[in-house]
Amino acid sequence: MPIISVSNLKKSYGELDVLKGISLDINKNDVVAIIGPSGSGKSTLLRSLIHLEEIDGGSIQINDEYLVEQGSYAKPQEIRQITSKMGMVFQHFDLFPHLTVSGNLEIAPKLAKKEPMDKIKARSEELLEKVGLTNWKNAYPANLSGGQKQRVAIARALMMEPEILLFDEPTSALDPELTGEVLEVMKNLAKEKMTMVVVTHEMGFALEVATKAIFMDNGEVVESGNAKALFEYPQFDRTKAFLKRSLK
Amino acid sequence: MSSEYIISLLKPMLEGAQTTILLFIIAIVLSIPLGFLLTLAVNSKVKVLSYLSHGYIYVMRGTPLLLQLLFICFGLPMIPGVGEYLVLDRFVAATLGFVLNYAAYFAEIFRGGLLSIDKGQYEASKVLGMTKWQSLTRIIIPQMIRIALPAVANESITLVKDTALLYAVAVPELLHFAQTAVNRDFTIMPFFIAAIIYLVMTLVLSLFFKYLERKFKFE
Ligand SMILES: Nc1ncnc2c1ncn2[C@@H]1O[C@H](COP(=O)(O)OP(=O)(O)OP(=O)(O)O)[C@@H](O)[C@H]1O
Ligand SMILES: [Mg+2]
Repeated sequence: MPIISVSNLKKSYGELDVLKGISLDINKNDVVAIIGPSGSGKSTLLRSLIHLEEIDGGSIQINDEYLVEQGSYAKPQEIRQITSKMGMVFQHFDLFPHLTVSGNLEIAPKLAKKEPMDKIKARSEELLEKVGLTNWKNAYPANLSGGQKQRVAIARALMMEPEILLFDEPTSALDPELTGEVLEVMKNLAKEKMTMVVVTHEMGFALEVATKAIFMDNGEVVESGNAKALFEYPQFDRTKAFLKRSLK
Repeated sequence: MSSEYIISLLKPMLEGAQTTILLFIIAIVLSIPLGFLLTLAVNSKVKVLSYLSHGYIYVMRGTPLLLQLLFICFGLPMIPGVGEYLVLDRFVAATLGFVLNYAAYFAEIFRGGLLSIDKGQYEASKVLGMTKWQSLTRIIIPQMIRIALPAVANESITLVKDTALLYAVAVPELLHFAQTAVNRDFTIMPFFIAAIIYLVMTLVLSLFFKYLERKFKFE
C-alpha cells in the first residue's frame, strides 16, 4: 500500500501545461529522488503534494486518504489534517528571521499542535542535537551559515513529527563546501527509515541514498524505478541525455 | 533678559506642550492600529473593500492635512441638514483629523512592509500547520513591524511637528503660546523656547525608536 499515490495529476498556469498527467506511487520508507531539467515541473509536483499549489485534475492520496479526488479537493479541515502528515524543506530555508533557532523549532508545535511546552522543549533539544546545532539554539537565523540554516529547517520540519518529508533542492542555495553537512543529516534520516521525496540536482546523493528515482521532463514522468537501475541503465534517450549532462 | 521672564514664559508654553503631547499620543495610539486595518483592507480579497481603502488612502495623502483639519472643524458644521450635529469640540475634531490622516500614511508604510516579506514565510508557516491567522499574527506582523520601524519613526517625528497645525484651528498649544508672547512682549525669545521644546520631544522620540530598532534587530 503506497503512502503517496498520485494519478493523472494535471496542472497548468494559464496556457502553460506544467504537469501533464503525472502518476506515481511512493511507498513507506522510500527515499525518492526526483530529477529532471529546469522547468520540467519538479517543484510544482512536490508543492502540489502538500497543497502549496492547487492542481487542475487528477488525484492525490496520502496515507489512503484523498487530498484531491479526480480534481475535487477535500474539505479545508481534512486538507489540513492530511497535509499535516508531511513536512517540507525549501531551497531557501525560509526560517523565521525574528525567532531564534529554538523559537523556529517550537512555534509550530505550540500553535498548531498545542502540545505542552515541556514536551516541545524536550523534542527541540533532541532534534537540535541530532542536526548538531545544540550550541546555536539561542542564535538568530541571520547569524547562521547556509548549511546551519538548512539543518535548522530540517529540524523544524521534524518537530511536527511528519511521516513524510519533502525536500525541494535543499542544497542548491548552498556553497559547495556546505552541502555535505546537510546531505549528512538527510542520510541519517534515510537510515532511520524516514520516507523522503527529494527534488535534487545532487546526482551523487541520489545515487547513494535514494531507493527510487523519478526522471521528469516537460511535465511528464519519463522514467521511474529503482534509483541505481535508472542511473546505470536508463531506458529512454531523454533520460540518457539528461544523465550524461548532469553526471559529467 | 531675566530668568524670571523665561520662567514666566515657560509655564503657559509647557501647558501648551501638554496639548501637543496629548494630541500626539492619541493620534499615534489610534492611527497605527487603524492604519494596519487599512492595510489589511487594501490587501483584502473583497474587491470593494480594497478599492474603497485605496481611495481613502489616496485622498488622505493627496490633500493637505491642514485642509482636512479645516474641513472637519469648520466644514462639517456647514453641511445642510446634518451640519448642526457635526459641531465637535475643536480639540476632538482636530484629533480626529490627525488620526484619519495619519492612518493613511501608516497604512502605506505597513503595506510596503508586507510587500517586502518573502512568500516563503507564508509557505513555511502553512506547511508547518499554522492557520492563516496564526501565521499573520506570529510570523508576518512581527517582521512587518521590524521592517516598518524606521519609517514609523520618521512619520512619528513628522507628527510631533504637525501638531503645530492646531494653531490654524485655534486650539491653544505650544506654538500658540509662543506666538502670543512674541506679539505681546516684542521679543523672539518664545520662538527659541518653542523650538527647544519641540527638539526635546523629537529627540526623546528618536531615542525611543532607536531603542526599539536595536531591540528588534534579531541578530
Ligand atoms: N506561479 C507560476 N506562474 C506561472 N508559471 C509558473 C509558476 N510556477 C512555475 N511556473 C512554470 O512552470 C514550469 C515548471 O516549473 P517548476 O518550478 O515546477 O520546474 P522545476 O522542474 O522545479 O525547475 P527548476 O529545476 O528550475 O527548479 C516552468 O516553466 C515555470 O516557469
Ligand atoms: Mg524547482
